[in-house]
Amino acid sequence: MSAVTTTSAAVATGLATEERTSRLGKGVRLTGFYLVILIIALIFILPYLMSIFAAFKTLPQILAQSPLRPPTSPTWSNFSTLFSQYDFGRYLANTLLVTVILTAGQVTFSMMGAYAFARMEFPGRDSLFWLYLMTLMVPNIVTLVPLYVLFAHSHLLNTYWAIFLPYVLGVPYQVFLMRQYFMTIPKEVMEAARLDGCSEGRILWKIIVPISRPILITATLLAFIFGWNNFMWPLIVTNSNSLNVLTVGIANFDSNFGVEWNLVLAGALVALIPMVILFAIFQKHIVNSISLTGINR
Amino acid sequence: MSVAAATTTTTVPRQEHVETASKADRRRVRTAFAFLAPSLIGLILFLVIPIIFVIVLSLVQWNMLTPMKWVGLSNYVNIFEFDGFGHSLIVTLYYVILNIPIQTAFALGMAMLLRRKQAGTEVIRIIAVLPFLSTPVAMGVVWNWIFNPSTGLVNQFLGHLGITGPAWLSNEATAMPVIAFANIWQYAGYNMLFFLAGLAAIPPAMYEAASLDGAGKWEQFRRVTLPLLRPTMLFVLVTGVIGSFQVFDTVYVMTAGGPGNATEVANLNIYNTAFAGFRIGEASAMSVVLFLIILAITIAQFRYFNKRITYEIA
Repeated sequence: MSAVTTTSAAVATGLATEERTSRLGKGVRLTGFYLVILIIALIFILPYLMSIFAAFKTLPQILAQSPLRPPTSPTWSNFSTLFSQYDFGRYLANTLLVTVILTAGQVTFSMMGAYAFARMEFPGRDSLFWLYLMTLMVPNIVTLVPLYVLFAHSHLLNTYWAIFLPYVLGVPYQVFLMRQYFMTIPKEVMEAARLDGCSEGRILWKIIVPISRPILITATLLAFIFGWNNFMWPLIVTNSNSLNVLTVGIANFDSNFGVEWNLVLAGALVALIPMVILFAIFQKHIVNSISLTGINR
Repeated sequence: MSVAAATTTTTVPRQEHVETASKADRRRVRTAFAFLAPSLIGLILFLVIPIIFVIVLSLVQWNMLTPMKWVGLSNYVNIFEFDGFGHSLIVTLYYVILNIPIQTAFALGMAMLLRRKQAGTEVIRIIAVLPFLSTPVAMGVVWNWIFNPSTGLVNQFLGHLGITGPAWLSNEATAMPVIAFANIWQYAGYNMLFFLAGLAAIPPAMYEAASLDGAGKWEQFRRVTLPLLRPTMLFVLVTGVIGSFQVFDTVYVMTAGGPGNATEVANLNIYNTAFAGFRIGEASAMSVVLFLIILAITIAQFRYFNKRITYEIA
């Protein structure tokens, strides 16, 4: 009897210590886990944070202080210099204009093409769709030189048109993405509308667009991010300061004033901050749509 | 298949309504092509014609001022002999090798770490994706500062440890790794999302079965996670390799190909040849060669992974 109690007591204390060590181990592991994800977060956040700090300091302050130190007396002077003495206002306006046109056209025309492929019947549909798919595999660089030559011969170099024209009529990837989505909409929906005498345009606008909002937002975000960040093509087709978009303006400014970190970093932020805001508004949607586009691609 | 069948049935209208049906049919086809027209015109003008045109251009000598001169395949020889395109390809390959394995491992590691539903993981997942949106040119400027030998954070930090850091971007040994780092920073979180989606699709029963068979954590990762992630891995690698072979923006801003030509990647060489030297033929030949290399690598990756997938899962 007593033997049994001692053993059971021993077992109990054994269990207790085991539990304690495992809880301790769990605590250590949890701390380690949070330490690691904190470091990961810092890696991604620090470049932004440091640039923001620096953009609100004067050049002597940047050179004298640690980059990790927030500005003690924040100044807007770097931004006002960029917008008044240099042409960043112009660059920003150009970028907005070109990106909005590019996005509106690309999404609208890709959507129309996608609808035709998904829910309309016409001869040669399958082979044309294959043609669209084939071009997905062609890297951008392949068309760069011939496109430049074609634009030069059409006297389109150094115009706003040149910057957005190759992307504004719709791109195969967007057509493909939206077609896959439209294929999931039951045919009956459109057939019923056709029997009621609805034109295809009305069907697309009144029925398809409202129920396809998720994919349309995805397409819009992808087009906007692409347009905003695009660099090589605008660099090639424009060579006047008044037509520069932000990316080209920043690159030129950097090569001229590379050591004036206060101005250069503030300039970089003019391009980066709108994207951060866009991300803050649409983060859930962007995260979801990346996973979605990846699986479908 | 069903699509083709549907097309043929609609083009053969019922006998009694031949007149009206074919009229309606013709109208429907016209509407379809009207819907398709913008993207089709775009595709032909800005993709199909340039693709054919680049092959023609690669066979001529031309500076856009004097008339074109037919030179056959000699551009394809000259780009390697005189324009250092072989060097550019090696440099590009070096960049891809520095970039892709670390980026993929980092993305997968983060996905494994952040897959669990624990307080905080959601926030970090979102933060990690933010760089995907950041303008590469603007980030290049930021990295120029962070890796600046005297005023940058990296060397200041190393200075506190008593180490004199190198002039990162003007040193042949460190310039390319820093550019690769910039790219890893930008796309690791983006790729993590694909791994998270892939991991979520693995049935938990697979892990239970494995642990009943006595497989430890590492064994489970090797025998269950990795094989089942192959489709995701293929996607991440293929898109990553295709993108990396075309790196331009960050290189242009951070080193412009230097020091010397240590970081003159393929796209930069094409850019310089076409738009600084106006040697359109040579630049076109370079584009064609780069395209063929990317295509070959993509096909090789598909083959490798398809074989693995059928053998190990089926």
